[in-house]
Amino acid sequence: MNTAMDDGRMDDGREESPGEQTLTFRAITDVPPSDTAPAVPDAPGPTRPSPPPAAEADTGDQDEAPTSVWDVPVRRPPAAPTSVWERPSRPAPAAPPASPERDEDLFTETAAASSDDEDLPDSADAPAESDHAPEDATAALAEEDDSDEDADSAWLWGDDESDAAPDAVPSDETPLDDAPSDETSTDDAPSDEAPSDEDDAPSDEADVAGDLAGAADADADADDGDGASDVAEDASDEDETASATADDDAGAEDVPGEAEEDLPPETVEALTAALGALRESVAGLRFGLDLPGAEEARQARADLQAQLEDYVLPRVRTRTAPALIVIAGSTGAGKSTLVNSLAEKNVSRTGVRRPTTGVPVLVCHPDDRKWFTEGELLGGLRRLDKPEPGAGMRSVVVVATEKLPQGVALLDTPDIDSVVEEHHEIAHRMLDAADLWIFVTTAARYADAPAWNLLRLAKERGARLAIVLSRVQPRAREVVLKHFVRMLTEYGLGEIDRFVIEESAVTDGRLPDSEMTDLRLWLAELSVDDKRRAQAVRKTLNGVLDSFRTRVPALAKQLELQVAFRSELRGDVEAAYMSALTEIDKAFRSGMIIQGEVLARWQDFAGSGDLMRSLQLRKRPRSSQAPERITAFRGALKAGLESVIVAAAARAAEEVAGRWRHRAEVGATLAEGLERPSDELVRHAGRAVASWQEHVIELVRTEGVAKRSVSKLVSFDADSLSLIFMVAMFSGGRTEGVPHRLVKALLGAESLRGIGAKALSDLRARIGMLFDEESMRYVQALDSAGIPDESAATHLYQATYNLEVAR
Amino acid sequence: MTTVTTRPGLAPRLSALTKVVELGPGRLDDKLVSEAQNLLLRAGDRLKLSSEHTVVALAGGTGSGKSSLFNAVSGLELSPTGVRRPTTAHTHACVWGLEGAAPLLDWLQIEWRHRFARASALDKGESQLHGLILLDLPDHDSIRALTDTEADRLIGLADLVVWVLDPQKYADASTHRRYVTELAGHDAVTVFALNQADRLSAEELAELVIDLNDLLRREGVEHPSVVPTSAVSGRGIESLKSVIAGAVSRRRAAIQKLEADLHRLEQRLTRSMPVGEALNVPASVDEARRMGLTDALCDAVGVPAVGEAMENVYAERSGRWVGWPYPRWLDRFRPDPVKRLRLQDVGDEIRGITTGSVSAQSAEVANAVQALADGLTVGMHPVWRSAVHRAARSQLGMLPRTLTEDLTQVAPRLDRVPGWWRALKVWQYALVAAFGVGLVWLGFGLLLPGRLPASLQLLGDTSALPWVALMMASVLGLGILSGIASRNFVELGASRERERLEREMRRRVAAIAEKAVVEPVERELGRHHAFYQAMRGLAG
Repeated sequence: MNTAMDDGRMDDGREESPGEQTLTFRAITDVPPSDTAPAVPDAPGPTRPSPPPAAEADTGDQDEAPTSVWDVPVRRPPAAPTSVWERPSRPAPAAPPASPERDEDLFTETAAASSDDEDLPDSADAPAESDHAPEDATAALAEEDDSDEDADSAWLWGDDESDAAPDAVPSDETPLDDAPSDETSTDDAPSDEAPSDEDDAPSDEADVAGDLAGAADADADADDGDGASDVAEDASDEDETASATADDDAGAEDVPGEAEEDLPPETVEALTAALGALRESVAGLRFGLDLPGAEEARQARADLQAQLEDYVLPRVRTRTAPALIVIAGSTGAGKSTLVNSLAEKNVSRTGVRRPTTGVPVLVCHPDDRKWFTEGELLGGLRRLDKPEPGAGMRSVVVVATEKLPQGVALLDTPDIDSVVEEHHEIAHRMLDAADLWIFVTTAARYADAPAWNLLRLAKERGARLAIVLSRVQPRAREVVLKHFVRMLTEYGLGEIDRFVIEESAVTDGRLPDSEMTDLRLWLAELSVDDKRRAQAVRKTLNGVLDSFRTRVPALAKQLELQVAFRSELRGDVEAAYMSALTEIDKAFRSGMIIQGEVLARWQDFAGSGDLMRSLQLRKRPRSSQAPERITAFRGALKAGLESVIVAAAARAAEEVAGRWRHRAEVGATLAEGLERPSDELVRHAGRAVASWQEHVIELVRTEGVAKRSVSKLVSFDADSLSLIFMVAMFSGGRTEGVPHRLVKALLGAESLRGIGAKALSDLRARIGMLFDEESMRYVQALDSAGIPDESAATHLYQATYNLEVAR
Repeated sequence: MTTVTTRPGLAPRLSALTKVVELGPGRLDDKLVSEAQNLLLRAGDRLKLSSEHTVVALAGGTGSGKSSLFNAVSGLELSPTGVRRPTTAHTHACVWGLEGAAPLLDWLQIEWRHRFARASALDKGESQLHGLILLDLPDHDSIRALTDTEADRLIGLADLVVWVLDPQKYADASTHRRYVTELAGHDAVTVFALNQADRLSAEELAELVIDLNDLLRREGVEHPSVVPTSAVSGRGIESLKSVIAGAVSRRRAAIQKLEADLHRLEQRLTRSMPVGEALNVPASVDEARRMGLTDALCDAVGVPAVGEAMENVYAERSGRWVGWPYPRWLDRFRPDPVKRLRLQDVGDEIRGITTGSVSAQSAEVANAVQALADGLTVGMHPVWRSAVHRAARSQLGMLPRTLTEDLTQVAPRLDRVPGWWRALKVWQYALVAAFGVGLVWLGFGLLLPGRLPASLQLLGDTSALPWVALMMASVLGLGILSGIASRNFVELGASRERERLEREMRRRVAAIAEKAVVEPVERELGRHHAFYQAMRGLAG
């Protein structure tokens, strides 16, 4: 895929010492100073000597370049001053022999170059002038192939592919999307180097590799005499070639990205299906717990879904749709002004108020209009004909104008850094749907952190990017540019298309035409050159698809985190109530129940003779007992059991809340109101204990059919006996105590054991139920937090995998 | 700028803050506490340092023209300006009136080589700036600032902050969200300079100033003071100077800044722990709650039941001593179920049960303490609530044992036999003996009249027999009566004993509860109360 190339620049350039990156480059001596077309004769350099590119080039560079000192660490010093703004291009080495193949071409090239050459002498002003240079050149060449135009519009090295076609496109050369520099090098050593070059990422060219490339280029162009223009061309050449050859060579590495130009319908179908599945699984995601990262994940999820619906799916289905160029940048950078100027129509409001634009404005050629009004791109947004007050986030204004070339549409977005945070969101959403990004910043802002965050994002996404630096004071131009280029280079963005717009009077919301020429050219080229446009579109699309590889798993990871966290929380609940049960068991065994009031009542019961009286010899009439004493004793036992249960539950509740709070902040929120046992607990516990007591009486009555021998002699009162039995049961290990011996004698060891086991398990079961009810509250709290289950993460991984397969 | 407010002075509020910091840890968010500590330190430092000087910081985004403005105000090219972004990486300071400024500059950590002085006395027309320390800060919004908090730090330290905005960046989130919104309430010590006004036409400038004012008001700056300036053309510099001069000559900016910071901190504190109803929460445990706790603990020990048991057991046992003996003897002939069950010694053991011991049921003790804490903490902030609970439970582990041990000392010996029981028993036996004597007499008199030796003639006197019978009857009657009477006495004594016992036990339980539960709880409640009083004091 394209992005694969973008990503890793190989080490081919490594032989170059990194120190060389900072070249002091001067303009080529060959170039006649002030002539308009001076270079033509001088720089016929037809043949390339194909020397070992790297080493030579550098040395060459240093030798020449007397004029302008570019200490900009651009590894490929611009050949001519003008080229500062070109893509940091390869230097022109001291006229090495030109390669014959390029002869014809050189002609045009040099011609184009000539305009640049003018500037050479006054290096300081060069950049400024160079802006205009293209105009002229292009004017002349306009009708011709774009290729030529590009050559002189050297500046935007990005569009240069045109040139390449004729000369530099040796078929052996391996195409590289936008790694112009690399390609140039391939010129020299075409077939061998090709594969490696392909792998190189254009962005990385900025790095060491760049040197090599630059060097190579230098050689290549050396002949021309003036590196500047040529370089630009070459760059473009490479681009072109890249695309051109892509089809033939179908560079193995490039694979689907490149080759898919005409994807077989089934592939498209598979891709669409995979993306649809991905959207399904993304759409259903909820991140209920406010864990660290959850907010980001929610945002990422929404972004992902919006991007899938607004951009990826429509884009996969209809690859031929016009390219959507999104113009993004800081507030006050002049995005709307730029769009107005390009459209030659006031389509977007400009002004001194910040932020100015709130609703995105889409400008396109009338023929393309239906794509954007009816198509699925940005399908989630309401289309408006003109800005309306109160048009919220979910709308876009669509305007058609003849002034824009076909096949490209500009989208003016709100800012990325004003106080109105809603704008940032809209802007990012628009960028997510962009085929190309134009990033606008100003001389006052180019060091702002938000700008660089956006650029980093663009790089991560592998989006096709161009940068416009506007509001540049003519007198500060050089310094600012140099610094800006250096910063870009440090960020690994040294290679992208750059345009400079000088600070000039804005009339009626538009910039003077002279400032717009380059950009317009760039657009025109995109418009005319279907291939190139398709390629740019595809590159961005592939970048987005590639980004899914990390974005979706990141979502899944957060999901798993949430699921894991929930099970941890549930584990806390279970553990707390388990230990509460254990605690109660311990209380049963340790005789804790037979303390306090229960003990006093037991003493009362036994000491007052009721105990003895409850054992009656048969035949004797029942003597009247003191029922209130039995009742009080039973009540005390009940209260004792109840309090043990309630205390354990209270401790468990507190422990759960404590553990949850300890785990994370969100735990504290969830545990809100759950630190205490529920209000019904006491009531429920009382009921449970009372019914257990009934149950024990019943057990004693039915199962405790005493030993025959005993029952012949003695009758007993089941109520009292059950009480004695409970005391025996709870008095712990003292099996020799009175109650034990009594119940044993009365009931027999066998049935005592049976009743004991049954009674205890029944009590445990009742307490267990109580605690289940209690812990239910926590489970409910967790459930209401809205956490998806584990399968959601699996779905995500599956969807990602399927997507990869489909690609 | 509003000047002296009606609020109480800074000092009492700072001391309230000290109190909050003292009581807060463990209750307040650690970050807030440390911020409060920082503010205290800063306030202490700043108030110690020169009050003659006013530190004015020029802050703003990169490229807004801070350095140009700095140069324009100082009239010297002190801070390098440039077109590269970001330009200024180190803070520059210019001082009008040097004496006493050095420690302040040290405190601000301005490097020596970036300090400049204007001897204001020599400057005509600059005397109103005497005492000004003007700082040119690095930006806060460039990529460099991501790793450099210099601007952030000095914005916090400066007495007066002049936000340098420009037409391009005046609405940047990096300025507004991070600072302006946060510093709302700092109106008196914040000035907004709308720089680069020369880039705009008059109408545009007017529109922009209105927009900026609106924006600031929306963000909570009630009286924004916006000064359009242009470092290039020099327009507005004088008005900026006069605004600064006003602040400098009043010598109140430092105090106002601290007050504003204090206010902001107070608001955040209040947000995290609203005073609200907190001061209505009782600061001590009232009598009713103490009673409630004591009652509950008494129940946990079973005090009423112990008394009842004592009464019943005494009544039951006394029968064997003071009761009429005949029915008892009769009972012996009744078949005994215990014997039939071959559990002969169980009877003794049952009597053994009643040796009387008292113990506290720990679960009930825990519940009692919990109930007290629950009742006290109604309406409290959860953090304080759990603190009170912790305090209440601080000695819970020991409490049941302490109660048991202490109450066992007064527990009634249920097997105790008072002397008068024995006396009555003797009396009853004496009566039985008298009955026996009468019986013998009667027997002799009836069966052997006249066959008696002379010495026993008296017995044979039949005329005495009716009297003997009468005596026997009355002995029996006396036995029954005295049995009943003494049983009543026993019961009376037992119930009196029970009352005494219950009083004594309650007294002891209350004492233990006071020491082990109420005291720690009251300490925490006192802390809670003091904390919220300090919070209220902070609010002024």
